[in-house]
Amino acid sequence: MGIRVNPDVYTIILDGLQTNKQQQDQVLQQIASGQKLNSPSDDPAAVASLVGLRMQSSSDSQYLQNIASLTGSLNVAGSALSSVVEALTTAQTLGVEGANGTVNSQNRQALAQQIQGIQQEILGLANTSYNGQYLFAGTATTTQPYVADASSASGVTYHGNDSTNSVEISQGQAMPINLPGSQLFSNAATNVFKSLQDLYNALTTNGDVASATTEVQNALNYVSTQQTFYGNSVDLLNNAQTFLTQQQTQLTENESSTLDADMATVVTNLSQAKATQQALLDAGGNISQLDLFDYLPTT
Amino acid sequence: MSSLFGTMSVALQSLLVQQGALEVVANNLANVNTPGYSREVPILEESPPILSGNTMVGTGVTLQSVQSVRDNVLNLRIDQETSRQSSLNSYLGAMNQVQALFNETQGTGLQTDLSNFFNSFESLATDPTSSSLRQATLIAGQDLAGAFSQTSQNLATIQQGLNQSVVQTVQQVNQLTAQVANLNQQIQEVSNSRDDPGALDDQRDQALQSLSNLIDTAVIYSNDGTVSVTTTNGTLLVSGNQSDALTTQINSATGMNDVYAQGTDITSGIAGGQLQGLISARDDSVPSTQSSLDNLAASLISAVNQQQKDGFDLTGSQGADFFTPPTPSASGSNAGAAATMTVALTNPDQVAASSDGTQGDNRNATAMADLQNASIVSGQTAGEYYSNLIDQVGNNVSNATSEQEAVGLVLQQLTNQQSSISGVSLDEEAANLITHQQAYEAAARVINVVDELTSATIDMFTPS
Repeated sequence: MGIRVNPDVYTIILDGLQTNKQQQDQVLQQIASGQKLNSPSDDPAAVASLVGLRMQSSSDSQYLQNIASLTGSLNVAGSALSSVVEALTTAQTLGVEGANGTVNSQNRQALAQQIQGIQQEILGLANTSYNGQYLFAGTATTTQPYVADASSASGVTYHGNDSTNSVEISQGQAMPINLPGSQLFSNAATNVFKSLQDLYNALTTNGDVASATTEVQNALNYVSTQQTFYGNSVDLLNNAQTFLTQQQTQLTENESSTLDADMATVVTNLSQAKATQQALLDAGGNISQLDLFDYLPTT
Repeated sequence: MSSLFGTMSVALQSLLVQQGALEVVANNLANVNTPGYSREVPILEESPPILSGNTMVGTGVTLQSVQSVRDNVLNLRIDQETSRQSSLNSYLGAMNQVQALFNETQGTGLQTDLSNFFNSFESLATDPTSSSLRQATLIAGQDLAGAFSQTSQNLATIQQGLNQSVVQTVQQVNQLTAQVANLNQQIQEVSNSRDDPGALDDQRDQALQSLSNLIDTAVIYSNDGTVSVTTTNGTLLVSGNQSDALTTQINSATGMNDVYAQGTDITSGIAGGQLQGLISARDDSVPSTQSSLDNLAASLISAVNQQQKDGFDLTGSQGADFFTPPTPSASGSNAGAAATMTVALTNPDQVAASSDGTQGDNRNATAMADLQNASIVSGQTAGEYYSNLIDQVGNNVSNATSEQEAVGLVLQQLTNQQSSISGVSLDEEAANLITHQQAYEAAARVINVVDELTSATIDMFTPS
């Protein structure tokens, strides 16, 4: 006598169908979500890595936002400085004119008036604000940096500080976003306000206009060189923006390859599972319904 | 010398025996779809021969007993695997709920809130006096704290649910062990009367299998037909007609119900069944996830608060605690840090963005944002630590799932094997039916012949 076999073949078919159903469920879930991973247990390490990818991608979005909001203030500061340079150029031209021996004192008074106008203009420019923040006050952005002060040799006093703020524009890359007025307009060596005040005084008092003009010239040269800071900063921002955009694309690609289902594979898996299911059902239907009882006489 | 009446009695006996055998066939056929039914076979034996003159003459057949066909060793293996499977099922039931709390594939979890929190400071750095940006950091902080505390409370709810299941499962264990003890007694009584207690055996097998679904069991079959049941670690559950009920008792340290047998805490010794899965999730995996969450929350709170203290708020005062510092239940313990996490600051001006007291200074806001990349918890960044937590939870589930699949296959095979030994085959029963029917007909024929012979003998003396 041979080995007795399990007389209940349907349990085997049922087990098969159940496993098959599970496979199909999984595939359908992948199709529905478009993702091959739908819970941490599908691939713990990969899902864990999503956290890193998304945190970095989220940081990059923030850096890009920072860049967008910084570009505005840097451009405003940059153009304010350009205006200062222009105004100083005018002042320097006026100084050269005033230094000319043929100019009479009445004309000098007129020139002095113009210089005073320029002083006012530059004072306004040095107090430029953006979004309610003074751009040249160091980090004391809520304090108006320059206030006219007749008792001061330069005609103004500085109420800002010497600090600069930096903002991160990509991971680990912080960029200074402002230059304090104390560095730009009124440092110990070159003082824009003092040079203009000196020129004004020289013109009104018939003093040494030529050397005062040289002073203005020096201030002009100095501010011109400082001006490049803002141009460079905007360039830096643009570079960072390009880098971040590329990095984000890369991160999105990584995230997608970690998470997203390859539809071709998924659909193939589904057809395979369906074929298996069909085979199991066919087998179940084809299992002989006959047993010995069918052959017993039915008298 | 044999006699016609002797032959008659042999044939009559045969009629009865074949009838009994047909009854067995009928019973098998009736139970062909009964779960847990083991097919029965009639054990026929020839009656002791008698000496008739110089020859031994057979005296027919007797139905010695009806035996159910079962393999107790196989049944034990099935019980063991069933035990493992239900342990994994109940464990996975709970841990699937846990991993749903950290399902970053569907955007559920802490990552978004963590990122938003740090980003809000990065944003504040671009305009440190902006009240809307300051407000945004408070809101991001509240969202983060809310996410931590919600997740922690969900974990606690899952743990409570598990605890209730433990208590219920213990009650079910007690019901089943009482049932087995009761069946033991009945089987012993039937065995004494030398009948086959097949039906009772089947019931007990079913009860034992249900029991092994709930707790790991070791079953010892005794000669008197009873079984003793212990856990695999030797805690006595059933002996003869006595069952020892398990009890539960609240552990004041954990607030969870421990399982006791005769005054001994056997909670950690339970090695299988639904109970083990529940306990393993309740006492191990869920608390370990909870404690990771607490560590992360406590480290974040402490790092952020420290950074606040290093800076100055909009009024120029030293920064106050951003998050309410947790009150540790014991020194060095972070328990409850996640559940109770809340933002302490009420006014956006209190956010310490400045590192020197100047309103427009942003260095402390930047430093706060940089905490995202600082190793603040167990030598890892918050993101890395959280990734590991997900990895851990995911692995708990995926390992148990693979094991569950493997056990499922083993169990399929064993059940198949059991069915091939104990299952009712219609072909076999049909063949038995014919065999016994024919034997019955043959015996009836013998009676007929004996009747004719007897008549002939009687007729010999009848004058015609």
